Amino acid sequence: MGRRLTGYWFTAPAVALMVLILIAPVIVAGFLSLTDYSLGNESANWVGFKNYDKIINRSTYQKMFSASIIYVLVVVPASVALGLGAALLINSLKFAQDFYKTIFFLPVMAALLAMAIVWEFALHHSIGIVNEFFESGCGTIAETIFSFGWIPFVDGAETWYGRHCAAGEFPLWLRDKGYALGTICFIGIWQAFGFNMVLYLAGLTGIPRELLQAAEMDGAKSGWERFRLVIWPMLGPTTVFVVTITSIRSFQVFDTVEALTQGGPSKSTYVMMYAIYEKAIKQNLMGIGAAITIVFLAFVLIITFIQRYLVERRVHYS
Amino acid sequence: MKRTLTAVALLAAATAAQAQDKVTIEFAYPYSHLFDVTYEKILPKFKEQYPHIDVQMRAAYEGYEDGTNTILREAVSGNLPDVTMQGLNRQAILVEKGIAKSLEPFIAKEADFAKEGYHEAMLELGTFDSKVHGLPFSVSLPVGYYNMDLMKKAGITEYPKTWKDVVSACKTMRANGVSNPMFWGWNITGNWFLQAMMWSQNEPTVKGNKVNIDGDAGLTAFNTMHTLFRECEMKNLEWKEALSSFATGEIGMMFWSTSALGAVERAQGDFTLKTGPFPGIEGKPMGLPAGGNSAMLVSTSDDPKELEAAWLWLKFITSGEGAAEVARTTGYMPPNKAANEIILKDFYDQNPNKMTAVTQLPLLREWQAYPGDNGLAITQVIYDGIERIVVGDADDMEEFREELFEEVQELMPANGS
Repeated sequence: MGRRLTGYWFTAPAVALMVLILIAPVIVAGFLSLTDYSLGNESANWVGFKNYDKIINRSTYQKMFSASIIYVLVVVPASVALGLGAALLINSLKFAQDFYKTIFFLPVMAALLAMAIVWEFALHHSIGIVNEFFESGCGTIAETIFSFGWIPFVDGAETWYGRHCAAGEFPLWLRDKGYALGTICFIGIWQAFGFNMVLYLAGLTGIPRELLQAAEMDGAKSGWERFRLVIWPMLGPTTVFVVTITSIRSFQVFDTVEALTQGGPSKSTYVMMYAIYEKAIKQNLMGIGAAITIVFLAFVLIITFIQRYLVERRVHYS
Repeated sequence: MKRTLTAVALLAAATAAQAQDKVTIEFAYPYSHLFDVTYEKILPKFKEQYPHIDVQMRAAYEGYEDGTNTILREAVSGNLPDVTMQGLNRQAILVEKGIAKSLEPFIAKEADFAKEGYHEAMLELGTFDSKVHGLPFSVSLPVGYYNMDLMKKAGITEYPKTWKDVVSACKTMRANGVSNPMFWGWNITGNWFLQAMMWSQNEPTVKGNKVNIDGDAGLTAFNTMHTLFRECEMKNLEWKEALSSFATGEIGMMFWSTSALGAVERAQGDFTLKTGPFPGIEGKPMGLPAGGNSAMLVSTSDDPKELEAAWLWLKFITSGEGAAEVARTTGYMPPNKAANEIILKDFYDQNPNKMTAVTQLPLLREWQAYPGDNGLAITQVIYDGIERIVVGDADDMEEFREELFEEVQELMPANGS
């Protein structure tokens, strides 16, 4: 009896901290999400599930979900694939491995907010380096190549590059409804894949050489075969981890949106984190902000459960 | 040895006494790109007159919405500054929530307050429940900024008088190789230009607890915007981008607040800049919303010395030389008769561009606030709505008006409450 109590005493500090720092705020948020509390007010009214009803039915929040989900669906596969590709390429190098590792890892280390300002300049509609680069290609061999007019049945003047060259205008990358989310996704991939690359490099060092040699002896002669039969399965646990982490981080995207588009144009980049910030911090509407937070936590929880399920199914071959 | 010790002791006593007399007040203001220069000019003058008061500047607010929001947050967390500058349409909420203090007790103590140049109409803008809560610091009106070189290139010699003229000017400019003829400041705090279009037709945007955009005036306002954005092929620039593009001479006409005139002139490239009156829907606008900000006392201190110091600062920046610096460094007008008519007598003759807004003063109307807790959210809804017209998401203006009305009305406080 006394012994059992001692055990509780030892875990008590950790449990108390967990309740105080993690669980209590979530409960408070859950409670707030059922009210119309606005910061600075003395009291709030109980509104039941009205906030959640808004989240489900309002077009603004539908745009929020679609922006968040598109972002995750684009950034996760692209940054995982690029991370894996970069890791495999670097791993196959005889020299300069550290050089490439450093270069690809730089965007991860750089403060994203500072980088966002660099992107803002680069993507400026008239003085930005991106549009200047495109413009300088117009009328030269670059236009011929990148308007894809050389491919049979493709009319060079009708393709993206051809049309923009003819108009003499390139898009407002961050202010055009059709491009803004794509641009934010691109920056997200640029930022995330270096991190995935490092995780994959760590995963690759864990694959025993003997396995590869054995596969070669058994007739897996080509690099692709060895990748398909040995490397990819052995990277299973790493992949589950990488995908989970990238998904959660992509759901949490905030700094690029805040710095570059503020959720616009026309709510096309209105991701969940930004919506929480806009409602709760910028407009002081704690009730609706808390409700979005709860929905957000539910999403993260679902991803975590999927990861646990996959891990328990033993993706690992040990 | 003994003597040195006495000297040191005396010195210490002296500094202690000085430190005691020294009062520190904290101050925060919005739009650093407009006002940094202004306060840099005012501060040394204030220091000269009141050497014992130390004014500490907090980090500037990004805009009026951010300013109000920051104050609301600071009121909850208990670290309010002593004096804050708030947008004219954001004063009401701070008075409602009891954060802004009434200035009446200080005004009562002043012997000749009326002589400082505050006159009724100006004080009206900061008066709530017949008590003065805010002293207006700067007032602006929308005006037209014209790049005369580009206008001349297209063969336009007269300022457009109506929005129809603007559209035809756009077309002539585009035909003459100006790819970016016009920028219209719809994104100034999200709703100021909507109010400008409404007041142009002599209609308020808010009537009691109802947003007044469901009538013909609303439709005319949105239709005018739609025509302007589409026919001029206006680019969806962020406001900082728009100002810098105009300053580099890329944009032919820019419709914006007169407040940015100082900043634009400082950054201006090699072209002739003229300002002209704000165009109307059919002929001259019948009214225009006052922009700008006023100084409010939000100090939580009980120390009469600190409050007194805060009041002295408040009074200094809104009257006399302090107020005159506003006109000299920005495009704003100081809402102070004495500053306008005595100190700045010759100033407007030498700066005709800054005169445009002054000549529009008879049109000055209230910049209306949206009542209730959702004021900031409503501004955002209107901003998002107009952005849909700008990016070409909304083309049926009747349907658009209906949607926007419903969405805003729902955020307004219910009738009777």
